[in-house]
Amino acid sequence: MENLVNIFVKSIFIDNMVFAYFLGMCSYLAVSKTVKTSVGLGLAVVFVLGITVPVDYLLHNYVLREGALAWLSDDFKTVDLSFLSFIMFIAVIASMVQLVEMVVEKFAPALYSSLGIFLPLIAVNCAILGGSLFMQERDYNSIAEATTFGIGSGIGFFIAIIGIAAIREKIRYSDIPAPLRGLGITFIITGLMGLAFMSFMGIKL
Amino acid sequence: MKLIRKQFDKIKPSFEKGGKLQAFRSMFDAIETLFFVPNTTTKSGVHIRDSKDSKRLMMIVVIAMIPALLFGMWNTGVQHFLSLGESVDIMTAFWYGFLKILPIIVVSYGVGLGIEIIIAQMRGHEVKEGFFVTGMLIPLIVPVGVPLWMVAVATAFAVIIGVEAFGGAGMNIMNPALTARAFLFFAYPSHMSGDAVWIAEKADGFSGATPLAEAAAGHTANLPSVMEMFMGNIPGSIGETSTIAILIGAFILIYTGVGSWKIMASTVVGALVMAYIFNALAPADNAFMQLPGYYHLIMGGFAFGAVFMATDPVSAAQTSKGKYIYGFLIGFIAVLIRVLNPAYPEGMMLAILLMNVFAPLIDHYVVQANIKRRLKRASVKA
Repeated sequence: MENLVNIFVKSIFIDNMVFAYFLGMCSYLAVSKTVKTSVGLGLAVVFVLGITVPVDYLLHNYVLREGALAWLSDDFKTVDLSFLSFIMFIAVIASMVQLVEMVVEKFAPALYSSLGIFLPLIAVNCAILGGSLFMQERDYNSIAEATTFGIGSGIGFFIAIIGIAAIREKIRYSDIPAPLRGLGITFIITGLMGLAFMSFMGIKL
Repeated sequence: MKLIRKQFDKIKPSFEKGGKLQAFRSMFDAIETLFFVPNTTTKSGVHIRDSKDSKRLMMIVVIAMIPALLFGMWNTGVQHFLSLGESVDIMTAFWYGFLKILPIIVVSYGVGLGIEIIIAQMRGHEVKEGFFVTGMLIPLIVPVGVPLWMVAVATAFAVIIGVEAFGGAGMNIMNPALTARAFLFFAYPSHMSGDAVWIAEKADGFSGATPLAEAAAGHTANLPSVMEMFMGNIPGSIGETSTIAILIGAFILIYTGVGSWKIMASTVVGALVMAYIFNALAPADNAFMQLPGYYHLIMGGFAFGAVFMATDPVSAAQTSKGKYIYGFLIGFIAVLIRVLNPAYPEGMMLAILLMNVFAPLIDHYVVQANIKRRLKRASVKA
């Protein structure tokens, strides 16, 4: 149990997807204009990560890794399908995103139209694929750990995107030098936020 | 006074549009408003007039920092002669510290105001008063042994990236002085931490560890007494050591209404709560976790940060409920970083920066909650 709490806190603050690895930047920069839409996108990312990481965990441990197919019969003991991980992970992610898209369209049409193209683009959001690949690399011991890591990473992204959205709403009427308006200042804010998030780096759990 | 006014009137035309020296107009404006209240008024709409303008607000903050500054100068001298094993009278110590600290202040003001003036020229607005406070804060939060060029680089970074990129004073999202401090801390860690940097020209055999470093290493027995840490004759950044001098500043800020007591009080509460949580959970061998909460208030930069940095009206939360949340989380996270993060003995700077980042979010949700509550009230009546 303590282990799960550690993984959860670690994936939100210390290994934050956005500020520690700078993953998922495209939707982070593009959809963070208002808090309302970024809450929607953030929740979608939490949901997708929370589902894809455990599903990919099962795939990795029972199909793809070396010797994972041993449960079929002894003949498959040496089979190593891990060269397929990218394409399998992407397939899982894409189908999950389809699911989210249908749910959002049905139950929150306003959010659906304000997210626009960025909802299907979650499928190629590197934070999501990154989540699965980190799971593979870090070799979590159980599906519970993998799920905790997935949800935690999603919440880390969620906090980052609503944080910057609030800042962008606040500076909307600021007299920013013309060349920096829009994305330029957003990059600077992201850098400064990364500086603030360095406070958690080095905490050992 | 009349003589000065006459001089200003005489040279004014050459600074106006079309004049010979119009490129230096904002500099002229800045110097003129330093001497006289400008007679220009706002052109349209309804405005409230009162005695508070930003120049006056900034000056009050600078005045509130004077006790900490004077004490810092004296303490610099005391620590230096203490490390040499000499004891000197109060004026010798003060004079030594004065000569050490004055160059840092000059560099910080020179670089910062220089950049402000250049950018004001380029963008065609006037020089804002915001840097008065920042320029004084930067020297107070660096160790006394810091090389001057580092102060210059950090000040330039804070003013250009932290403030001017956002459109000038009043629009920044993070406290510029802390941005400078964080820049120094991450770019030149060997000059900003460790035991050697806190005392000017320290004798080699003398341990110059700050109380926080001692506590983080688990040597709580080596800590100075509570009284010593409260008075401030301990190694540390220039302005942060003396809790009592900072309390005088806090009194000035609260009495004049410039600094928010809500933020200061909730920061202290947040730190105490976190410290008591640690006390309750602490394993027997972790001396830092067992340290009582009030130690955190007087060690390191906590008091200085809570009084002068967290209350910065630009980067703090604006709503009154938001201020409590903001302050509480600063104290909470500061103690958390101090105790749990072995990489940084001082958590105050990063805790304030982190909450600066989330202050707009706190405000957003406080405002939304207000809107929701009022809408509910309206629909019940209808």
